[in-house]
Amino acid sequence: MNNENLFELSNVSKRFTKGKETITIFEDLNMQIKKGDFMAIMGPSGSGKTTLLNLLGGVDQPSTGEINFDGQRIDNLNEGRLAKWRANNIGFIFQFYNLMPMLNAAKNVELPLLLTNLSSAERKAQVETALKLVGLSDRAKHMPSEMSGGQQQRVAIARAVVSDPKFLLCDEPTGDLDRQTADEILETLQLLNKEFGKTIVMVTHDPSAAKYATHTVHLNKGQFVKEEELVS
Amino acid sequence: MSSLLSQSAAVIKMNIQSLPRRLWMSLAMVFASAVVVAILLAFLAMAKGFDATMQSAGSDDVAMFMRIGSGAELNSSLSREQANLIENAPGIARDEQGPIVSPELYVIVDGVKKSSQSEANIPLRGLNERGVNMRKGFTLLEGRMFTPGTDELIVGAGILKEFEGFELGQEIRFGKYSWKVVGVFSTGGNVFESELWADAKVIQNLYNRGSSFQSLRARMESAESLPSIAEYLKGEARLTHEVQSESAYFSAQGKSLEYMAIFGWVISSVMALGALAGALNTMYTSVADRAMEIATLRAIGFSHFSAFIGTMAEAMTLAAIGSLVGSLAAFVFFDGLSASTLGGSFTQVVFSFQLTPELFINGISMALVIGFISGFFPAWRAARVPVIVAFQTAR
Amino acid sequence: MKDFYLIYKNLTRKKMRLFLTTFAIFIAFLIFGAVMSLRSALNAGVEMSADNRLVVVHKTSFTNPLPYSYVNKVQAIEGVSKVTHANWFGGYFQEPANQIVTFAVDPETYMEVYSDLVVPPEQLAAWYSNQTGMLVGERMAKANGWQVGDKIPLSSNIFSRKSGGQTWEMEINGIFKGNEDKIDTSYVLMHYKYFNETQTFGGDNVGWLILNTSNADLNEQVSKAIDTEFANSNAETETSTEQAFNKAFVDQIGNIGLIIFGVVFMAFFTILIVVGNTMVLAIRERTGEIAVLKTLGFSSIRIFKMVLVESCLLAFLGGLLGIGVAYILIKGASEQMARFLPNLSLDQDVFLQALLYMLVLGLITGIAPAIRALRLNIITAFGRG
Repeated sequence: MNNENLFELSNVSKRFTKGKETITIFEDLNMQIKKGDFMAIMGPSGSGKTTLLNLLGGVDQPSTGEINFDGQRIDNLNEGRLAKWRANNIGFIFQFYNLMPMLNAAKNVELPLLLTNLSSAERKAQVETALKLVGLSDRAKHMPSEMSGGQQQRVAIARAVVSDPKFLLCDEPTGDLDRQTADEILETLQLLNKEFGKTIVMVTHDPSAAKYATHTVHLNKGQFVKEEELVS
Repeated sequence: MSSLLSQSAAVIKMNIQSLPRRLWMSLAMVFASAVVVAILLAFLAMAKGFDATMQSAGSDDVAMFMRIGSGAELNSSLSREQANLIENAPGIARDEQGPIVSPELYVIVDGVKKSSQSEANIPLRGLNERGVNMRKGFTLLEGRMFTPGTDELIVGAGILKEFEGFELGQEIRFGKYSWKVVGVFSTGGNVFESELWADAKVIQNLYNRGSSFQSLRARMESAESLPSIAEYLKGEARLTHEVQSESAYFSAQGKSLEYMAIFGWVISSVMALGALAGALNTMYTSVADRAMEIATLRAIGFSHFSAFIGTMAEAMTLAAIGSLVGSLAAFVFFDGLSASTLGGSFTQVVFSFQLTPELFINGISMALVIGFISGFFPAWRAARVPVIVAFQTAR
Repeated sequence: MKDFYLIYKNLTRKKMRLFLTTFAIFIAFLIFGAVMSLRSALNAGVEMSADNRLVVVHKTSFTNPLPYSYVNKVQAIEGVSKVTHANWFGGYFQEPANQIVTFAVDPETYMEVYSDLVVPPEQLAAWYSNQTGMLVGERMAKANGWQVGDKIPLSSNIFSRKSGGQTWEMEINGIFKGNEDKIDTSYVLMHYKYFNETQTFGGDNVGWLILNTSNADLNEQVSKAIDTEFANSNAETETSTEQAFNKAFVDQIGNIGLIIFGVVFMAFFTILIVVGNTMVLAIRERTGEIAVLKTLGFSSIRIFKMVLVESCLLAFLGGLLGIGVAYILIKGASEQMARFLPNLSLDQDVFLQALLYMLVLGLITGIAPAIRALRLNIITAFGRG
C-alpha cells in the first residue's frame, strides 16, 4: 500500500444477483485516492457512482477484490467492525441533510460523539467548535424545521466533522440547494480540505460543483472514462 | 348539495380502498372494539340471565309469609298453629278443599358441582301437592311425582344440568338418610329448578321439626288482596310474620347479583376508554397517511366537508365491524351458557346467560360511540389539511 | 446511558400519539390493579387463616347446627389443644338491610383459639364479666361510629326472643384488632349464654366448632378422628382447616377467579395489540433515521437495545400511572366495601406482579420493531444501490 494513498481499490468487482440474472456494476476496478485530495466523482445515473460511494463508505462490500484504507483492509470486516470503522474514520454528508427532526442543531451535531468515550463536557466543547466552524453557533438550539436548506446542510457538515475524521464522503451535497447557497457549502468543503487537510470524495452531477474539487473522475458503466486534473 | 354528497361518496370510497395500506392499525381498532362489546355483552347476559331466573319464579297472586326480619325462607319459622291462623286471612282464595295454602320447609343439602367437582349447597324443599300446583309452569319432564310419606324426591332441571348424580332412578344420601329420584321437573327455567322437592311431612320427621314449617304460600283472590292480608297479620298478636307477594320476594333476592351488571358496565366502560385511545391512534395515523391524497383532492376543488366525512365514515365503519365481531363472539360463546352461583340462603342458583336484542343494541351503541369520538377529532384535522401539502415532496 | 436523550426524544416526538398509547397502557394497568386487588380480597380470608386452626361444621351444610355436647367430645380428642364454638346470629342493626356479622361465642375459649385478636386487657375483662356485653371489631366500630360504652340494640333475622321480638340489648365492652393488618375486624362477638338462654328455638346447639391443634402436622389426623367420632350420628361432621373452609366458601360464588382472569387477560391482550401496532408503525416511520444512525457508526445491537428501552419506558410510564390510580381508587373503595370485602387493598404482591407485566408488555411490543431495526440494511433503507 502506497503511504500517500488514503484509499486503494484493487480489482474490485461488484455484482448483484436478481433471481436468475446477474447484474455487474463493476468489474476489476482499480482506484487510488490520495491523502488530502478533494475528488469529485461524476457520471450519469446507472454509472455505478452510488455503488462506489457505498463501497468507499463501508456501507457495502465488494464481491471480489480488496479495498484498503490507510493500510487496513476494510472489505473483509464484519458489520460490527465496519460500524466502528465508520465512526472513527468517516464523516457523511447527504443530499437531503438527514438530520434528526426532533433534535436541535447542537444535539444533531453531537450524535457521532456518543460513539466515543468522551465526557459530557468534552462532547459539548467539540460540538461548539464544529458549529463555530460552519458559522452556526447562534443556531445551536434551533430545530431543523426552523432552518433553511443551506443552514441544515451546514449543521450536517458540522456533524460530519465533529469527531475529526480523516475522510468526508459527500453524496450530492448541493443537489437540493440554490446556486448561491450551494456555493457557500462548497466553499466550506474546500476550506475543510485545504486548511484542515481532510480528504473528501464528492459524488455530484453538477459540473460547477466539481470545479471546487482538486480532482474529478468520470464514471460510466462501471469504468473510469477520463480523468481531469483541475488546478484551481 | 348533491355535489357534496358525491364528493363525500368519492372520498369515502378512496379511504376504504386505501385501508389495506393501514391494515394492521385498522385491525387493531376493530379488535379493540370487538373486545369491549364482547365483555359488556357477557356481563349483561350474566346479569340478565340471573335476573330472569329469579323474576320469572314469582307470581303476583301468590302471597309469601315469613317471620319478620327473616329475609329468606331459610331463616324463617312458622308453627302449625300459626299456619292455621294465617289460613283464615281475608283475601286468600279457596277451593273445595279449603284455603289454597302451602306451608313449606326449606333445608340445605349438598351436591357435587360438575364444573368444579367441589361441593355446594342445594335447597331441599318440603311441600305437598297444593304447593306444587302453585308454581306456574310446573311440568314433569321425566318420571313421576313423589309419593307422600316416602323417601322419594323430584329434581329440578337446573340441578340436573349443574350437579352430578341426580339422574332419574338414582339413590342419593344426605347425611344419614337416603332418597330416591323419581322425577325431573321444570318450572320454565326459573330458580325453582335449582331445588329438590320432597314431601313436607317426611322432611319434618327427618329433620326433627315436629310440626313446624318455615314459610307459607297462599294463592290470593287477586293481587290486590295483599293489603288486607297484611292488616290481618298486624292485628293477630300470635303471629310474628309478614307478607309479600312472591314476585316481590324474588325480586329482592335477585338484587344480590345486581353487582354483576354494574361491574360489567364499569369494566367495559373503562376498557372502552382504552379502546378509544387505540382507535384515536389508528385514525390519526390514517389521516397522516392520507395527507397527500386529501391535500391533492382539496387542490382539485373538493370541499373541507368531504375530507371530514371521509374520515368519520372510516372510523364508524371500523367500529361497527368491531361491534359485529364482538356481538357474534359473545353470542357464540355466551348465549345459553349455564352457570350457577351463590344466591340468597347460601344455596346455588342455576341460571343461563341470556343475550337479548336489547343487549346487542347496548353493545353496538357503545362501539358506535367509540367510532364517533375516535373519528371526530382526526376528521377535524383532515378537514384542515392545508392544500400546500400536496406540493411538498416527501422527505 | 448516553443514548437516553435520543430515546427520550424519540418517545416524545409525536405528543398526541405518546398520550394515546400511554393512556391505553394506563387503562390496562388500572384494570389490572383494581381487579387483582378484588381477587386478592376475596382470597384474603383464605390466606389469613392460622395454619393450625380447624373448623368443624355439619357435614350437610354449615347452616345446620351441631349439638352442644360435641364441644367436650372434641376437646377430648388427641391432638386438640383448645376448642371453642360459635353460632351465627344473623344480626342486623335497626333495619334488616343493615347486616352486622355477629357470632355468639364462649368468650374465654374463643379468645384463646383466636389468639391473633388483640384487645386491651381491661376491655376484655369487662366483656368476660358482662353477659350482655359485645366485643366489636375495629373496622365494624369505625363503619358505624361505635365506641366502648355504647348501648346497641342488635336484632336477629333468624332468632326470636323468649320474651318477644327479635332484638337483644347489648353494651359495647371492648374493641378488638388483629395482630396483622389483613385480619378481618368487621364483625361482632356476643356471649353464647346470653343468646342461648333467651332465644326461642330451644335446644343446646352450636353453629360450628373451631379448634387449635397442638401442631399443624397433626391437622389431618385430628380432622379424621373428629369426623370418625361423629360418623353415622344424627349430626355428622366435616372438619377442615380454616383455610380450606374459607376457600370452599369463595368457590361457591362460582368461578370468580376465572372471570376475573378472563377480563384482565382480554384487557391486556387488546392493549398489547394496540400498543404493539403503534410501536411497529413508529419504528417504520424512522427507517431513514435508523439508517443514518447506522451510517454514522451506531452498531445494530446498540440500536436494537434503544428500541427495546423505548418500548419498555412507554410500558412503565403508562403502567405506573395506572397502578397509582388503581391504588387510590381501591383505597377509596375499601371504606365503602368494608362490609362485603373487609380486606380490600392494593398490596405488594399485586404491585410486583404489575411491574413484571409492564416489563413483559414493553418487551413484547418492542421486540418486532427492535429486530427490524437490528436487521435494517443501510442500502435498502436509503432506497438505493
